[in-house]
Amino acid sequence: MTDAITVLGARLRFGETAALESVSVSIPQGACFGIVGESGSGKTTLMRAMLGLQRLDAGEIRILGTPLQQGRAALRQRARVVQPIFQDPAASLSPRSRIRTLMNEVGTVLKEPHAATHERLLVILKRLGLPDSVIDKYPHEISGGQARRVAIARALLVKPSILIADEPTAGLDVSVQGDLLNLLQDIRRAENITLVVISHNLAVVRLIAENAIVMRAGRVVEGGEVGPLFASPRQSYTRELFAAWPSLASNNKGR
Amino acid sequence: MNEAMWALKRICSERDGRLGLTFTIAILAFALLGPLVSPDPNVLDIKARFAAPGLAHLLGTDNLGRDLLARTSVGTRYALTLAVLIVVISSVIGSLIGIVAGIAGGWVDRAVTAVFDIVNAFPPLILAFALIALYGKGSATFVLLVTVVFIPQFGRMARARARTLRNLSFIEAERMLAVHPVTIVVRHYLPNVAGPIIVLASMNLPVVIAFEASLSFLGFGVQPPKSSLGTLIKDGFVSINQSWWPTVTAALVLAVATLGATLLGEALRRVIDPKSAGAR
Repeated sequence: MTDAITVLGARLRFGETAALESVSVSIPQGACFGIVGESGSGKTTLMRAMLGLQRLDAGEIRILGTPLQQGRAALRQRARVVQPIFQDPAASLSPRSRIRTLMNEVGTVLKEPHAATHERLLVILKRLGLPDSVIDKYPHEISGGQARRVAIARALLVKPSILIADEPTAGLDVSVQGDLLNLLQDIRRAENITLVVISHNLAVVRLIAENAIVMRAGRVVEGGEVGPLFASPRQSYTRELFAAWPSLASNNKGR
Repeated sequence: MNEAMWALKRICSERDGRLGLTFTIAILAFALLGPLVSPDPNVLDIKARFAAPGLAHLLGTDNLGRDLLARTSVGTRYALTLAVLIVVISSVIGSLIGIVAGIAGGWVDRAVTAVFDIVNAFPPLILAFALIALYGKGSATFVLLVTVVFIPQFGRMARARARTLRNLSFIEAERMLAVHPVTIVVRHYLPNVAGPIIVLASMNLPVVIAFEASLSFLGFGVQPPKSSLGTLIKDGFVSINQSWWPTVTAALVLAVATLGATLLGEALRRVIDPKSAGAR
């Protein structure tokens, strides 16, 4: 089966800094894939490149086997396949538009009557545990957790086959983090969506992902199935990274 | 509507805002109601030349016996109409050009910025003389000229704001949804650029009023028999030894109009864009 996302020899430099260096990744369809690494390791840059928001200096990215291209026609096609959930979801909602307006835009893009979009939206909101009243609010009138769910709802409204979530639990308290991860996992299974989770939080990736890569200074240090990767990392950097995560370190010791 | 009421309340809560609003309302009332209580501004009454303010002529008459209340009122109306027209046209055109340049980046941005720089390189009055020499005197020339001068100001501000917005998550999210670029500009760029543009527009109103008066004073603006604050000051200045009130009346109205608009613009800026107001 064609991979959901294939990255081949991605290279990108910002001046003297290598943001991505020979990055090659294959993300299988229907899987939950984690990308971990410290701040500045190139996780978000890789995400932006996968979304077509950042051009590469060299290398290739394929979405469901189709090379990623610029241009409006390619963007329209891509929008129906891959959707992002940005790190700061509140900031990803236009501040001067009501949520209803933002959702209706999706209907316009899909060439779907607004009534049909609205009906689907109500189902999604219910699933995400959001009240219907949220659609008449402005983004600043809802909480951070609600904004994150609204951003997820908007992404799901497009019916994508790939969701890329950048730090999906950032800024949420621990109990809400767990709920959100379970929710993402449920949606992924039910809709057969490929979920790419980018996080510096190793616990999140360990909990939700089946495969993962570890990034450092724009390079993929190592990768593989999450179980063996976390249990016996081959690279010293991965070991250091895992050791620096107190809960994981103590959990590993206890095993 | 709620935002407008909120802004109005905030403006009224400070002294300068109240003063600016009062002056502006007074000038608007004077421009709108003046002709209703005074005769035709162009009717000559040679017998009443240089008549002092009185019951027959509330603000007196000029060297041809024309009623100064009517002429000043019409001149004020003319100045305000031109100022609003010019500011609206230049802000709309400037904002659109600036937003397109900011979004497009690359050579489009560089070309637009270069044109803005070239226009800004000319002192407004010199540019005015050049355009008047090309197209002749008159209201249309004046509107064209001042619009050209002001477009870069609005364009630069809109461009800078658009460049910031372009990289914000909500614009990227719209792009990722493949929302039509025109929808993105109209629904998501314009409302977020509007605040600083409205402030700049309000700050430019008094500048345009004064600029129109300057050109008319120099004989390049409004042509007789039409009246403008600039021509009234100039005509009064010529015969200031016989009567001081034509000059003083027109100058006073000009001062109140520009001061009112400036204070109101500053107050609006403090309300809409407190960060830049505080950075002064």
